[in-house]
Amino acid sequence: MLSPERLALPDYEYLAQRHVLTYMEDAVCQLLENREDISQYGIARFFTEYFNSVCQGTHILFREFSFVQATPHNRVSFLRAFWRCFRTVGKNGDLLTMKEYHCLLQLLCPDFPLELTQKAARIVLMDDAMDCLMSFSDFLFAFQIQFYYSEFLDSVAAIYEDLLSGKNPNTVIVPTSSSGQHRQRPALGEAGMLEGVEASLFYQCLENLCDRHKYSCPPPALVKEALSNVQRLTFYGFLMALSKHHGINQALGALPDKGDLMHDPAMDEELERLVVRSKLHRTSRQHRAKEPGAFGFQRREKQEALERVSSASVPTPYHYRWEPRV
Amino acid sequence: MDCQAEVNCGLHLVIQTSSLPEKNKVEFKLNKDTSSFPGRLLQHDLERNYSSRQGDHINLVSSSLSSFPILQRSSEEKILYSDRLSLERQKLTVCPIINGEDHLRLLNFQHNFITRIQNISNLQKLISLDLYDNQIEEISGLSTLRCLRVLLLGKNRIKKISNLENLKSLDVLDLHGNQITKIENINHLCELRVLNLARNFLSHVDNLNGLDSLTELNLRHNQITFVRDVDNLPCLQHLFLSFNNISSFDSVSCLADSSSLSDITFDGNPIAQESWYKHTVLQNMMQLRQLDMKRITEEERRMASVLAKKEEEKKRESHKQSLLKEKKRLTINNVARQWDLQQQRVANIATNEDRKDSDSPQDPCQIDGSTLSAFPEETGPLDSGLNNALQGLSVIDTYLVEVDGDTLSLYGSGALESLDRNWSVQTAGMITTVSFTFIEFDEIVQVLPKLKIKFPNSLHLKFKETNLVMLQQFNALAQLRRIDQLTIDPQGNPVVNFTLWKYYVLFRLSHFSMQKINGTEVTQNDMIMAERLFGILAHVASSELPQYRLISILGDARKKQFRYLLESKGKKPGIINEENNDSKRLVGENTNRATLNYTTRDFYNEKLEEIKEKKKFCKTYIEDLVKEATEINMKNEALQKLWPQMFIELVRDAVIEIRNKNSYMKLCLQQITDQK
Repeated sequence: MLSPERLALPDYEYLAQRHVLTYMEDAVCQLLENREDISQYGIARFFTEYFNSVCQGTHILFREFSFVQATPHNRVSFLRAFWRCFRTVGKNGDLLTMKEYHCLLQLLCPDFPLELTQKAARIVLMDDAMDCLMSFSDFLFAFQIQFYYSEFLDSVAAIYEDLLSGKNPNTVIVPTSSSGQHRQRPALGEAGMLEGVEASLFYQCLENLCDRHKYSCPPPALVKEALSNVQRLTFYGFLMALSKHHGINQALGALPDKGDLMHDPAMDEELERLVVRSKLHRTSRQHRAKEPGAFGFQRREKQEALERVSSASVPTPYHYRWEPRV
Repeated sequence: MDCQAEVNCGLHLVIQTSSLPEKNKVEFKLNKDTSSFPGRLLQHDLERNYSSRQGDHINLVSSSLSSFPILQRSSEEKILYSDRLSLERQKLTVCPIINGEDHLRLLNFQHNFITRIQNISNLQKLISLDLYDNQIEEISGLSTLRCLRVLLLGKNRIKKISNLENLKSLDVLDLHGNQITKIENINHLCELRVLNLARNFLSHVDNLNGLDSLTELNLRHNQITFVRDVDNLPCLQHLFLSFNNISSFDSVSCLADSSSLSDITFDGNPIAQESWYKHTVLQNMMQLRQLDMKRITEEERRMASVLAKKEEEKKRESHKQSLLKEKKRLTINNVARQWDLQQQRVANIATNEDRKDSDSPQDPCQIDGSTLSAFPEETGPLDSGLNNALQGLSVIDTYLVEVDGDTLSLYGSGALESLDRNWSVQTAGMITTVSFTFIEFDEIVQVLPKLKIKFPNSLHLKFKETNLVMLQQFNALAQLRRIDQLTIDPQGNPVVNFTLWKYYVLFRLSHFSMQKINGTEVTQNDMIMAERLFGILAHVASSELPQYRLISILGDARKKQFRYLLESKGKKPGIINEENNDSKRLVGENTNRATLNYTTRDFYNEKLEEIKEKKKFCKTYIEDLVKEATEINMKNEALQKLWPQMFIELVRDAVIEIRNKNSYMKLCLQQITDQK
């Protein structure tokens, strides 16, 4: 922890890199808001709990979007929380529309913008038929890329547009500017006729981008890997490739691999306990309410539940544990 | 005798043979079977015998001069029966010339084949002319018979009533069994007492003015649909309308104005089949003594007036009801229109934020209840009375509140204010279903606490056109006491299109143990599935949130509810305590879900705005702290660098100082004295 590079950074830069100030500000803000409640059990305890929850990744639950997207750690925590809470939906096999996924997102973050979800959906659907149903895993991985690297992707989109229209790839491209500087105009005539852009050219631009800007970007080596197999690619093809790439997923560290997406044995156990408890609760309520009981408490149900519990507790070969990002 | 019995069943002739026939001593009547009239001597049979006997003595000599036969009677006959002549059943095809009988008063041509009335113009003293059962097609040849009082033309082929102008003394006119289609040319017959037009082709009755003596009018077996002018007959007592086509009392309404009518028949008409027939007739014709040949009793009259009053009441009620219903319908239409306008406007704002002028051409000022002229076209088939009444409504409401037994229906956001009204405990207690239409769900959320207090038995909530778009919004329903049934109409509620919405509702509102959602029963499997899908969410929301957040979220929700309560009149501490217990119970029942709340967008933005100030302050505060910390850090680092050197200097200074013991001792003592 106390590595020499860390201590070598000047103070402001260090704070900025770790987003320490963001959390400090937020903590104090929360303190102010809930003054009466918190004063009851002590400020020291409050700070302890706060930073513990930051470490565990539960601090973003039900918070406003501006906070959720404020730091990379927040974004990762949010992705992870979303996965944990709604993994069961995916496990159930339901295919949902973009709007419905957006609804689920809003359950965790009430003012989550629709734009982001739409963009994520576009990646899955390859910019086609936005009302289509999507599977949970497809959506989740695409959403991960879109949400975590959203600024990066905006720049990439701009680069892609420029390449497509034949501008010089080496010109300085800033996402907010309307046009780049046209110093050279190489004959990229083919770009119009074939779909997408040339992969290697594209990668060069990306490399420049990664070197230059301040927001996080996927590790360039992995990006190169993703582009290695293709000659030409479209924008959404590129994004789709990114989302499916295992390495990038692992580099992010928020979600497990695709194969293990539905596995979370600890949660499954907890869930079974909840289900059984709710069944008992419901029937006892019914007896209390003295209703004729359209459906009695059938032994069959309980056995079913027990069976499921036992299957969940079979040790899976891969135990995913989440490590806080250093 | 063939058809005679049917129609002409009694020709009562009472003739005074002694003196010259004066008008008031000769009475002729035509009657149906059950006659309630005082019986008269039935002279008919005598007549018949008489006429047949007379027939034997008649010689019909065909003249060479004309084609008509000439009648001659023996002088014996002429003296015996000087004033009457019967040529019944003589197989006559034309009227014979009758010479030398100019003082004849009764002439009988019954049952012949005569086609034209001729050769009787010389019989100017004729009083009774009987041409029953012939083939006469036109009334003619009567213009000289100014004394005629009885004219019997039944069972002929007459198509039109005409050429009766000079018969001003006519007393009885019998035209039954002909082909007459119209009543005309009889208005001058002011002495006419009996008019028989049965078995003709009449379709309506009018043009009866001038018949100032008419007491009996027989119109049976026609095709009459309506009757007029009967109130112009001052003496009419008997009116027979059996077997016609009268179907409503309105078509014979003039009868009510005839004070002389005492006997009427309607049997065989469609009207007689109606349930309201008898008492309507009795009620409208109080002067009546006999209906359909049956005397009307006092009892019947009483019943009739009672029933008629009931009918009136019912009609008034139903009129009122239909007025109300129409008003309701219009109001709902109005509310729907405004809802659409509002939705359009919102959509326009969302898509055309740059454009200053909104797309919707409709003026938003129409919102406060002014007459909307577009409506009369939409009202559809209404009877004119209703329409007139409605156009009198100068204000059409912009919302509607309706209580129908156990259902409270609210249309339009204005209706939400009605929850503040003083509802009687009984009415409020009966309400089990509350239905919201054309109201934004976010607005409904704000009045849910009121609903909970005022309508404690409301178990079924229905939402239609309420803009339910997010699953989150269902969280707001958790604050109610209990819901058994929930109906979310797909119209205007996009949330229904989601695959998981029902499970989410079941999950979030599991403590209600709902029975039905959108009409389908909730099964154990549904509940389990809901728990399976969202159970982890609840777990995360409760156990993984830090304590302070739990408290703040729950506190927020409770604070909001209190705010609504305090805004309403419920400042009594009792209620607040109840609230406390309620929410405690709630929290106890399902802590893990209680943090899933719904704040309407407006409130949320409000809150965020409020926080901005705090955030700014925090930022500056932290910045100050950081500055301080970095300064200290800098100083610390600087100190670290300088310290070795400083330490050496300190040591050197100290050593130099102590080098000379004596001078050092002196210095110390000096310092001590200085101090004091």
